[in-house]
Amino acid sequence: MKKKYLHNLFLLLVFAFLYLPIIVLVIFSFNSSSLNIVFEQFTFRWYHVLLENRSLLEAFMNTMIVAFTSTIVSTIIGTISAIGIKKYNFIGKEFIQSLLYIPIVIPEIVLGISLLSIYTLFRLDLSLVTLIIAHITFSIPFVIISVRTILDSLPSNLEDASSDLGANKFKTFWYVTLPSIMPGITSGALLAFTLSLDDVIISYFTAGPDSNTLPLKIYSMIKTGITPDVNALSALILVVTIIILMTSTVLQLRKLRKETEL
Amino acid sequence: MKNSNSIFKKITTIPLKFYAGILIFLPLLYIFILSFFRNDYYGGIIPDFTFDNYRMLIDVVYLKVFLQSFLIAFITTFICICISYPFCLIIKTKKETTQKLIMTFVMIPFLTNSLIRTYGWIVLLRKNGVINQFLMGTHLISSPLSLMYNYFGIVIGMVYTLLPFMILPLNSAVSKLDDSLLDASKDLGANRLQTFFKVVVPETLPGLFNGSLMVFIPAIGLFFISDILGGGKLMLLGNLIKNQFLTARNWPFGAAISITLIIITFIFVKLYKKIGGKMDDLGGGL
Amino acid sequence: MKKIVILLVIIFLVTGCTSKNDAGVVNILNWSSYIPDSVILDFEKETGIKVNYGTYSSNEECLAKIQSAKPGTYDLIFPSDYMIELMKKRNLLEPLDREKILNWNNIADNYRRLDYDKENKYSLPFLAATTVIVVNREHIKDTITSYQDLLKPEYKNNIVLLDDQRIVIGMALQALGYDMNETNKEALKDAKEWLLKLKENVKAFDSDSPKTFFLTNEVDIGVMWNAEAAIAKNKNPNLEVIYPKEGVAISIDNFALPKGAKHKEQAYLFIDYILRPEVMQEIIEDYPYKNVNQATNLLLSSNYLNNPASNIPDYVIKNGHFVNNIGDSILDYDKLWAEIK
Repeated sequence: MKKKYLHNLFLLLVFAFLYLPIIVLVIFSFNSSSLNIVFEQFTFRWYHVLLENRSLLEAFMNTMIVAFTSTIVSTIIGTISAIGIKKYNFIGKEFIQSLLYIPIVIPEIVLGISLLSIYTLFRLDLSLVTLIIAHITFSIPFVIISVRTILDSLPSNLEDASSDLGANKFKTFWYVTLPSIMPGITSGALLAFTLSLDDVIISYFTAGPDSNTLPLKIYSMIKTGITPDVNALSALILVVTIIILMTSTVLQLRKLRKETEL
Repeated sequence: MKNSNSIFKKITTIPLKFYAGILIFLPLLYIFILSFFRNDYYGGIIPDFTFDNYRMLIDVVYLKVFLQSFLIAFITTFICICISYPFCLIIKTKKETTQKLIMTFVMIPFLTNSLIRTYGWIVLLRKNGVINQFLMGTHLISSPLSLMYNYFGIVIGMVYTLLPFMILPLNSAVSKLDDSLLDASKDLGANRLQTFFKVVVPETLPGLFNGSLMVFIPAIGLFFISDILGGGKLMLLGNLIKNQFLTARNWPFGAAISITLIIITFIFVKLYKKIGGKMDDLGGGL
Repeated sequence: MKKIVILLVIIFLVTGCTSKNDAGVVNILNWSSYIPDSVILDFEKETGIKVNYGTYSSNEECLAKIQSAKPGTYDLIFPSDYMIELMKKRNLLEPLDREKILNWNNIADNYRRLDYDKENKYSLPFLAATTVIVVNREHIKDTITSYQDLLKPEYKNNIVLLDDQRIVIGMALQALGYDMNETNKEALKDAKEWLLKLKENVKAFDSDSPKTFFLTNEVDIGVMWNAEAAIAKNKNPNLEVIYPKEGVAISIDNFALPKGAKHKEQAYLFIDYILRPEVMQEIIEDYPYKNVNQATNLLLSSNYLNNPASNIPDYVIKNGHFVNNIGDSILDYDKLWAEIK
């Protein structure tokens, strides 16, 4: 009993660590003073300021488009590539595997500038598309790593059994491999999504003049000292993410429960 | 049967080749070539072949920067491991629904902007910040503690920013851990620490390795945390590289530092594989 | 799959919406804290031109983008003095068409034909900034007149400086009696010793928002750009603004068109709009840098005029120093910077 109490205390401490800065940030979004220093009076003013800011909403749309597209594409490519690496030998495999470390190792700024130079080499106009490509570039390795971790812990005879039973590669993949590596895929996708939502440096160099994203906007707002409208914005994002994540968790849980009932 | 196999192989390897070739190899090649060019201090680059950029790195000053960065990255990784292992082991004992819920709540903070979160820490850590006021209000301390604009602030910020990169892979490894193994170890009379080091760690090594990689490496490159929570007083590799591109206008030198950083990381990975030995069986790397 | 289709539709809708625009667009790259959103919105309303507004926080960031992106990506940038000189040299700028800028003469005479662009062929000043020393008189009573005074051991951990190597090293050189652009190795060595001493007193290097350090009482002394100091002084009258006797550092930001700009007409319209006295007033009262628009002078509020940090006297500007291009000595500066950090 005492052990359980200690366990929960530990979890509580970790969550305090994770949430304290965010709670502070949300509280200050209701502060009447324009400086994040002392709490003066309660106000919704900054939320009004925010909702009237057209360029912020535009940036928000861009961010969502980039985050969703790049997450979907990088999760698909990352997952099938992880399987390809695991199952097959091909020319240059070693080399390609090492290359996959590069986007993680290379400092963001270097990747940003070099991607920009590559785009210019190919005479590409900077736009949302170039931004999405950049985000896919740095997300894929994270997906591959997450999926590989799970793939490696799978018993290898699972798929053999499936093919012994006459299922072809695609069926085996769809009905056997995919469901069992799902946790890896979800955590990879989550990482990719988080990285995309948060990226400033690479976006800075690869976004076109008309494809401002929220992080870029926030980055430039912070330069003048962080003001409560930035807090309000983050509070709103937080609420939206909590809603999305909670619904998806609840849906998953419901599905899980149904499966166990069956 | 054979046909489906070869199509499947194509599908799973061709996009990877394209991706690795165009989006990773080309930029890398660009940086590599750049690192042998000479800088024109009016913002240009002269395409001479020179080793000067690498030679410059063997200066005590820059070695110091390397050391500082690796030290911070090492401490950060270590603390992340110390938090993540117990965390993942504890939530493993919970019901599956609770587990999912907990993991969701772990991720939520990371979907807000990291810069803003870092600023949240300023409000907490500064001289008249929430923590100091609380501690002084309860008379635990009599004068404010220096919680930021030093190493402490930097490490807090790093751990905070990079923690999910440890928790996620570690958790997927720990959740796969077989309960009967733990029980067996207990039955054999191993105490908790022994079980942890003899059973848990070896079984979850791929997750640990991946997590460490995803924490350690970004910790070297992150520059805004040292700028914001460290008061810009400590130069880390990320800052040094950023300076070469955005202050000193010395792109070739920045490129050379990046290539060196890449090489060092690969040495680390190789070393690990050698020490870990079974790395390929575990497949923990890529 | 469904999601992907929906996303693609959204992408097409969004890109479709932005591409049809009769009055055209203008792609601007500016410092992060110069032009309030309201000014841009008013300009869009008046002209129907869509403004794509990106920001940078150092001249080199701007250079990196202009240099690596396809020419024509941006139409209007705001580099400082030495960067204009450098971009000119690298052939990155379009000559300005004076005929197109009706409000050209609003810029005060003493800010035209400056050394970095003698005939204003490529650039026209937008505003000026200088460094100043700020002291919180509630806590610090000593007389402070120069950078040298900042070395006192009792100021331990009590100073905020700009996170800018040229400005901070320049400050050290000036304190030691050298020119702020000195490249002599012995001088730099002295500067290093001086800075290592000063570092004991430095709480933080921050270029983004040093004013916050004063408003939260984190420090009592700071060296920062004048607009930051002016905002801090407005919030806390106990702050004193001091022009160091060694001479302040000056930076003048300019309108300039990058080579290959595609929307020049719109860029000129934007420049002209900014040069209007009442528009410039809105900008300068919001971010109180030193105004260089003589037509705006008559409109400035007493708050701006009476604040020693916003309304920098002409004699201070005259005795100030510009950051110059120092060629490959920048290597020594960069190394020195790594040494003191």
